[in-house]
Amino acid sequence: MGAGEYWNPKTETLGRDELTALQLHKLRRLCEWAAARSPFYQRSFREAGFDPGQLKTLDDLRRLPMLTREEWMASQGEQPPFGLLPVAGREAAIRWHTTSGTTGREPIRVLDSAKDWAWQAEMWCYGLWGFGVRPADTAYVAFGYGSFIGFWGLHYGMEKLGALNVPGGAQTTEGRVKQIVDFGATVVASTPTYALRLAQEAERLGVDLAASGVQRLILSGEPAGSIPQTKALIERLWGARAGDTAGMTEIGTIMIFECRHQPGGTHIIEDHYIEEVVDPASGEPVGYGEAGERVVTSFGRGIIPLVRYRTADLVTRVPASRCDCGRGFDLYEGGILGRVDDMKLVRGTNVYPRAVEGIVREFPAVEEFQLLLTREGHFDRIALRVEAAPEVGDEAWADMAEGLAKALAEAHEGLRFEVERAAPGELPRFELKARRTVDRRDTPIGG
Amino acid sequence: MPTTDLLGRPTTEVEDELLELYRRCKALLARDDLAPCARAGARVAAVGLWNAVNDLALTSEQLLDLGA
Repeated sequence: MGAGEYWNPKTETLGRDELTALQLHKLRRLCEWAAARSPFYQRSFREAGFDPGQLKTLDDLRRLPMLTREEWMASQGEQPPFGLLPVAGREAAIRWHTTSGTTGREPIRVLDSAKDWAWQAEMWCYGLWGFGVRPADTAYVAFGYGSFIGFWGLHYGMEKLGALNVPGGAQTTEGRVKQIVDFGATVVASTPTYALRLAQEAERLGVDLAASGVQRLILSGEPAGSIPQTKALIERLWGARAGDTAGMTEIGTIMIFECRHQPGGTHIIEDHYIEEVVDPASGEPVGYGEAGERVVTSFGRGIIPLVRYRTADLVTRVPASRCDCGRGFDLYEGGILGRVDDMKLVRGTNVYPRAVEGIVREFPAVEEFQLLLTREGHFDRIALRVEAAPEVGDEAWADMAEGLAKALAEAHEGLRFEVERAAPGELPRFELKARRTVDRRDTPIGG
Repeated sequence: MPTTDLLGRPTTEVEDELLELYRRCKALLARDDLAPCARAGARVAAVGLWNAVNDLALTSEQLLDLGA
């Protein structure tokens, strides 16, 4: 591979031993910083009997306690509004962001210094460059630009690498479709769900996106960017390649990206993070090829040091050699697979929303869908509610519903899914994180 | 004076140049006689160089005490 393949050829092509040595060096500095400045870590390190001087090898990372979202939230309650993790207050920061709030919980509040914010854009540059975005590109960012951190870092990353950037905030979907075409965008950034919605709107407007100048879509915010059926549908509708990325407010930016070789997974930016994969129940590490929970340690953010944060993201790590791009960075096969607590138990059968979406996306006439779980007496009921394209008549709908029910049952040990047609516009649309699973049961039977 | 990166490798000429510029920007930021416009510009420069020297495994440090 030529050096032009990589944003940072020096570290992206390091071998495993060198990467580990670099991570150990950065981990020591991070822990020293946290121990000296963060009230939260001063307490947690003391309680764990940990001292940064104990870090002799990367395995010593496991001496450190893991941090949970619940602990972070409790810390915010103990010392509002930012909690005890930050090493400085708002006077040291230039940005204040929050988590998206889509779960209905109190959001996590984060502060960033000028350096932190620049680092966040830098992480996006690894991913954007890796997927083939270059200074000659015109990028359209289909994002609301609010207090949710979302694509803010991508915006600055695009500017940093020299692309022409079009902020697509405060627009209707129709307005965004028209701007994408009128401005000659070659790259579009959005969630996977919103990429589909833009494509539906374009069809309604008679705009052929596949004939537009868009060559690449940068997807983020939902696991669907790596669900093969969803990705294939997006790529077909746009006539462009779709690259998955994933990040989180807790680190402020992305930590994984799909390179232009599209290996069916996302590279971990390993010179800036340590990513562990653990058994969600025991906390013990799992090996390559085994699904587990992501635990992230981030070297970049100064105001909020992040050491062994349990993300609740479900992933399967595979070696860097799985991709032929030449990077030394390992991958998450299939990106973020979902949340550790995503799985639904319905009449003794495990149902994963990601698997359902994979099946639903094989039916291109599905415009939107919702998975609805209810309980009648002691009987759990699972329904797939579908908005079909307007041209789907009664006969075609009956065939489609039968096909969906059959495919879903076959993938779920014969579990019967009731497939119902929803009225046009009845189901919610999403610009940020889609919430298509609605569970109206109390405790699942046997759960 | 020869230097090494965080992996113990000798630094290149370009890396030495970046490190020197970074050190000079930090030294500038540490002064207390900068006009606001000069401080803001020096901060942007220091942050930009921090990213470069950090990416290239030349340093691993925070800039909070310098206002960045």
